[in-house]
Amino acid sequence: MSGKTPDAAGISRAKTAGLKNVDILVGIPSFNNARTIGHVVRAVEAGLTKYFPGRRAVLVNSDGGSSDGTTDVVRDASLDLDSILLDHRKGAFRKLVIPYHGIPGKGSAFRTVFEIARELEAKACAVVDADLRSITPEWVELLIKPVLEESYDYVAPYYMRHKYDGTITNTIVYPLTRALYGKRIRQPIGGDFGFSGRLASFYLGKDVWASDVARFGIDIWMTTTAVANGFKLCQAFLGAKIHDAKDPAADLSAMLHQVVGSVFDLMEDYADIWRTIRDSEPVATFGFVYSVGLEPIPVNLEKMIEKFQMGVRELAPFYRSFLPDDILAFLTDLAAQSDRGAFAYPDSAWVRTIIHFVLACHRKLASREHILKSLTPLYLGKVASFVIETWESPAEEVERRLEGLCRSFESEKDYLIERWNGQA
Amino acid sequence: MKAIFDRVFIQPLREVFQKLAGFAPSLLTGIVVFAAGLVLAWLVKLLVVRIIRILKLDAAFARSGVTEALQKMAVKDTPAKLIGRMFFWLVAFIFFVLALSVMRVPVIDQLLERLLLYLPNIFVALVVLAIGWFLGNFLGRATLIASVNAGSKIAGPLSKGVKGVILLFAFVMAFEQLGIGRSTVIAAFAIMFGGVVLALALAFGLGGRDLARTFLEKRFKKNGDADRDDLKHL
Repeated sequence: MSGKTPDAAGISRAKTAGLKNVDILVGIPSFNNARTIGHVVRAVEAGLTKYFPGRRAVLVNSDGGSSDGTTDVVRDASLDLDSILLDHRKGAFRKLVIPYHGIPGKGSAFRTVFEIARELEAKACAVVDADLRSITPEWVELLIKPVLEESYDYVAPYYMRHKYDGTITNTIVYPLTRALYGKRIRQPIGGDFGFSGRLASFYLGKDVWASDVARFGIDIWMTTTAVANGFKLCQAFLGAKIHDAKDPAADLSAMLHQVVGSVFDLMEDYADIWRTIRDSEPVATFGFVYSVGLEPIPVNLEKMIEKFQMGVRELAPFYRSFLPDDILAFLTDLAAQSDRGAFAYPDSAWVRTIIHFVLACHRKLASREHILKSLTPLYLGKVASFVIETWESPAEEVERRLEGLCRSFESEKDYLIERWNGQA
Repeated sequence: MKAIFDRVFIQPLREVFQKLAGFAPSLLTGIVVFAAGLVLAWLVKLLVVRIIRILKLDAAFARSGVTEALQKMAVKDTPAKLIGRMFFWLVAFIFFVLALSVMRVPVIDQLLERLLLYLPNIFVALVVLAIGWFLGNFLGRATLIASVNAGSKIAGPLSKGVKGVILLFAFVMAFEQLGIGRSTVIAAFAIMFGGVVLALALAFGLGGRDLARTFLEKRFKKNGDADRDDLKHL
């Protein structure tokens, strides 16, 4: 499946006729983003004009069959360069609108971007989400320049987020990925990335385009593939990330299943690599870090604790098939805790919980979907405990608190490896 | 007098002995075949238990809930021992049938023929029950997890209901396959299933009016955000 599909390759060749050896390619995957994509296209064009004036650049909109006129918005989006004090330049910037083929999903859209990057022999590439409201021309500079001028292969985003924004990233994906692969990439599933043409070709060579990576999980797959295969990587501070609300009906357990399942799957693929890594190290960070005023996030603590209690009560017999007795006893006690102020899910217990979920999937102790979805109440319990603990804390203190969680994951890595290898 | 005695007692006895003498080799062969079958069945049982242990299937049965279910049904044996015992009786039964057919008794031959024709039905019924069992467990657990995650207060009963209905389906299909009370079972099932659906419809319709109204109000009214939770998890 690593080769091109005839359709995708045919379209890219026809559309890219006359283009070759471009310096920069920016991809925007889209599906019904007519409301926001115009702003994203203009920001990208301004960024390319302002920061890369002498470079040959292409913007690729890889669309999944939008019915709301997204592609028309992309074609019609034009930038008044005078208003942002930039000089006009002709012929250096091209827009391509290309429908992607294959399994519907962000991964398939990215695959088309990678194919065009290879076709055009692009030196540096970036992908940005089509629903962004906070993207500025500087994002393009920050995602592209480390590749073009500093020879980095992969640039992960680093956003300023509210302390209760991105709780799956904060409590599971970031600490686990960091402990496994030894690199402190703060937003491994950020969604906006920079990468080299070499890495785009490497991605294309992987046999994943018929799997879940094509549908979802492309973000963590790109990050993990770059880290595990030794590509040179860094992160870029992009400020706040504000984007259109995702589907409000999106189910949390489905989200956990997709994201955490992708991390667990990658653990199988790269077991030989992560088992040899100990501790973690920071990665180079570009951009001027500053604080951002962030909108407060309403949190319904009572609802989260209720769901945790019900989950432990109802799912205890299922948990018993893969969680050790001490963790199960702890969960039962915590679920019986009536004093909300004393509700605490310590890092040590949380790390052990996640490790045993990893092992349950690795050993195929039950249906993978059942295991992953049954994590939902426990995750809500951990988030509730985190909220109670950090209610009064400023962002810096919360970040220090998360650093503690990451260290707990790192210190328990031997426990995971022993059991993964079947020694315990 | 002697002639009468010979005709009434001696001659029938002689005939019986002659018949017994004629049947004895067949009987002996049958007994030998059955005895050999018992020995073979015992060996098969040992082999099956050993294979199950090597493949660590006992742990798999424990994880899938089979062991627990057996314990609930007061079966003290482990699944490995139980399967071994089933194989023992299967082999023993096959050799018993073989031994009977070696004896060539017409009535037994007829019975055996009917039994052999019926055996596939038993096999299919057992397969249906096994599939029903696994499907019931799987979907019951899926329902439990989904309803717990949705915050449903009736997650447990809902899950048990799904499992129960699937098991009921499996039993009805198995009984139908075996031809046991075919029309009675199907009619009973249809009446019961229809009754359950009607009861649920009435319960939801009458008891859930207020709940439905509250739900719709919460869902479509802009205000009323007491329950709001805007956490962005990713």
